Amino acid sequence: MRMKEILLYRGCTTPVRLSEYESSTKIVLKELGVDAIDLVNANCCGAQFVESLYPRAHAALGGRILALAEQEEKDILAICGACSGSLKHIKHLLDSDESIRKEVNGLLAHEGLKYTGKVEVKHLLQIFNEDIGYRALEKAIVRPYQEVRMAAHYGCHVTRPFEIVKVDDPENPTIIDRIIQLTGATAVQYTSKTQCCGGPLLAMDEELATKIGAGKINNVIRAGAHGIVTACAFCQIQLTQTQLGSESTVINRIPIITLPQFLGYAMGLDYNDLGLYLNPISARHTVFRTAGEVA
Amino acid sequence: MKREYHIPTSSFTEEIAALSGGEVIEKCIQCGICTASCEVARVSERYHPRRLIQKILIGKRKEVLESDLPWLCMTCRLCEERCQEGVSPADIFQLVRALAAKEGFVPKVFANAVDLVLRDGWLLAASYSDFIEDEREGMGLDVDLHWDDTFVQRLKAMFLGGA
Repeated sequence: MRMKEILLYRGCTTPVRLSEYESSTKIVLKELGVDAIDLVNANCCGAQFVESLYPRAHAALGGRILALAEQEEKDILAICGACSGSLKHIKHLLDSDESIRKEVNGLLAHEGLKYTGKVEVKHLLQIFNEDIGYRALEKAIVRPYQEVRMAAHYGCHVTRPFEIVKVDDPENPTIIDRIIQLTGATAVQYTSKTQCCGGPLLAMDEELATKIGAGKINNVIRAGAHGIVTACAFCQIQLTQTQLGSESTVINRIPIITLPQFLGYAMGLDYNDLGLYLNPISARHTVFRTAGEVA
Repeated sequence: MKREYHIPTSSFTEEIAALSGGEVIEKCIQCGICTASCEVARVSERYHPRRLIQKILIGKRKEVLESDLPWLCMTCRLCEERCQEGVSPADIFQLVRALAAKEGFVPKVFANAVDLVLRDGWLLAASYSDFIEDEREGMGLDVDLHWDDTFVQRLKAMFLGGA
């Protein structure tokens, strides 16, 4: 079978603070027939910070990333909600506003790049849902979880606004839940499922951000889950560190696991190869306690 | 039949409404579903999106631009998802932020982050340590992250008046 190739836009946060997410994404996708190749010579997408101060510079940053992918004739995979949301917003803007597209292309012409709108930006959830599909995922499960209950956290910028990001139902998202179910685990429903982790507020007000994160964690614990499955670098980090500070108001600690790590283990991939030893709140004796034989 | 809205007349509202994406502010009926949906409002007495939009509607331009409140929106867009009038507080507050930035009111953390991105091409150059490089090498990941730091110089020249 020929591998489908896609360009991985790593973003700023993942390669510095969450290499295990990057690595497990690549390993799991390769097993499922998708080769995630690094997009090189890129720049920050500009989400949140440049976006707020200089919207036109934000358009140029995103436009350049999209144009680099056009040069390679491949779609973009983003595994961070901020990056996928930002790039999709810029694609939408450049496709609908000719004057800003001309301005961006003027800047890109210096290095022989041009944005024409040929490539798509996909979030990791779309690769599973649209490119790989649940039937193939189900077939890949060789070490199903037993009596493990997991809560899905989708990430605001991954799923909203639907008209632009087009990933999943923004009020009742199901992609992560379906994947949790087909690994043999139970997808636990909880209050505040579609609400924010607090991550975007960290820079401005860490205390409030931590309160928001802790509120979500407590709702998940009350629903009886063993852990939370995420699909965004920012959410993964925020939901973890909101539990660790001395000021934290969580009623208990609960492991936060990225989707490819969680899925990969059920596919028979190695605990260490998936970087699970790096997760600060270990799931070794809870989620992965049934570390059974590979069928 | 022509739809009628409650149209406030403050010049600040008109200023926002004249910007691309800002016209939705005129559809706000101050129902408060944004505040009811807001995670920040749940944990903070200060930040309530409905109240902040109301300040714009009644023309408190200086107060809003000099305040840090527009910078507390997480742009999670849950309120936008629920607003039946199609108002996006996130989009409105982004316009307010850009306007505030033009007039020199930018929270330090935002200014610092923008400086880093426009200097290095990405945000976390200073945090990328030898330790992380070793960790990446052990996982078979590329140690050289191949960031481009030249394009941002061009952006600085164009949008910030000089590299």
